[in-house]
Amino acid sequence: MIELQDVSKSFGRRPVLSEVSGVVAEGQVVVVCGRSGSGKTTLIRAVNRLETIDAGRIVVAGIDVHARGTDINRMRRNLGFVFQQYSLFPHMSVLNNITLAPERLLGMARAEAVARAERLLERMGLADKAATMPHQLSGGQKQRVAIARALGMNPKVLLLDEPTSALDPEMIGEVLDVIRTLAQDGMTMMCVTHEMGFAQEVADTIWFMDQGRLVEAASPEEFFNDPRHPRARDFVKSIGY
Amino acid sequence: MIDILREHGLFLLVGQFPNGPIGGLVATILIAVLGLLLSFPCAVLLALARVSSYGWLRHPAAAIIAFFRAMPFLMVIFWGYFLLPWLLGRPVGGFATMVAVLVIYESSYLAEVIRSGIEGVGKGQSEAASSLGMGYWQTMLLVILPQALHNSLPAMLGILISIIKETSLGYVISVNEFTFASVQVNSLLLTKPVEVFSIVAITYFILCFMLTQVARTLDRRIQRRRTRETSDDSPPTGQPLVTAV
Repeated sequence: MIELQDVSKSFGRRPVLSEVSGVVAEGQVVVVCGRSGSGKTTLIRAVNRLETIDAGRIVVAGIDVHARGTDINRMRRNLGFVFQQYSLFPHMSVLNNITLAPERLLGMARAEAVARAERLLERMGLADKAATMPHQLSGGQKQRVAIARALGMNPKVLLLDEPTSALDPEMIGEVLDVIRTLAQDGMTMMCVTHEMGFAQEVADTIWFMDQGRLVEAASPEEFFNDPRHPRARDFVKSIGY
Repeated sequence: MIDILREHGLFLLVGQFPNGPIGGLVATILIAVLGLLLSFPCAVLLALARVSSYGWLRHPAAAIIAFFRAMPFLMVIFWGYFLLPWLLGRPVGGFATMVAVLVIYESSYLAEVIRSGIEGVGKGQSEAASSLGMGYWQTMLLVILPQALHNSLPAMLGILISIIKETSLGYVISVNEFTFASVQVNSLLLTKPVEVFSIVAITYFILCFMLTQVARTLDRRIQRRRTRETSDDSPPTGQPLVTAV
């Protein structure tokens, strides 16, 4: 579903991504981890072209994301994106946050968009929050609305950039639960996170990044029990596995 | 003063209306509000050009804004007074000239207010809109501008206040507004300039002071809402809050 081929990018002379290659298959969950500054956020943002790349190719559902002729707005409908800071639209109710894009971009009728948003909110455990304004929600609720908003466009892939990093500890669980359910439902996902317990449980593959390189791609068992790359070994040791 | 008001109050308020064109304080307010409303679309376009990623839009917009912000308003009035009839090939009334000149002049100020409103909306908002597949116009019209305009409401009221004060300069081209009416009353009475111009000063003050208070209340409310919205929502760097009254 997502194919990365030798993706490279540098900010000035500092390389942030160096020849990253990898595949996220349909229905798979890939968790990207690594220390701060290892390039994981840049990588996931490059997948829907929130970041440009200098070299290489990223192909999502058969479309070259960074190619010149690509209709990026159409392409992005296939890619839900969840931000660390939620970035809900503060001037709209929870319901309208979710219905905005389907109505305006897919031309969906209001009634249908509302029905769908309500179903999504129910899945997120927020059925009673439809009329609420974003600022009245807790962080965990905001992030679940953000996930619902991303799913509103019925994307083929969901990209999550540190979805729990801005949350208070007691709210992390509710967001991870939602992501876990999505994984069980077969959603293709790429997720940058520091939640290693969650990674171990949900990921099909773990990508470990170090200094802009994808140095290890392994199943969670392999990664946590017997990482091959010395950097990955240090990392796993440092987080206490 | 009471006598003057009793005698000439109606004239100061509406001019010769309904027996002649509308004038006085009502004309002042009408010119100011019309000026602001008509500036608004021009200002939005200027502001969008000013923050555009295309240099051929950004540079001319920046030049226009810089030019008018460096011009004394009185001079722009003279230019409008002589240039508009020449351009249109027919005489233009004082009222219309004043509104047109205000639009030309104030669009630049209003554009700067709207620009800072746009820049005050976090980058996360446009990224969120893009990530859903929205294009430039959808992002602007549905996500960025509603927030930007709401946040710059107090500053826009500030502009309305300066426009109200600027309309008094219409006097020099004989626009029938409040100051003009009061000068007429003054020449009629001959011996009471202090009283007449006290009435004028107090009226301007009450009108503008009330608007300042509304702007302040609005500003406080918006700031409060913004801090609430961004308290756990802003990136570590934080976005600058917009205050420009």
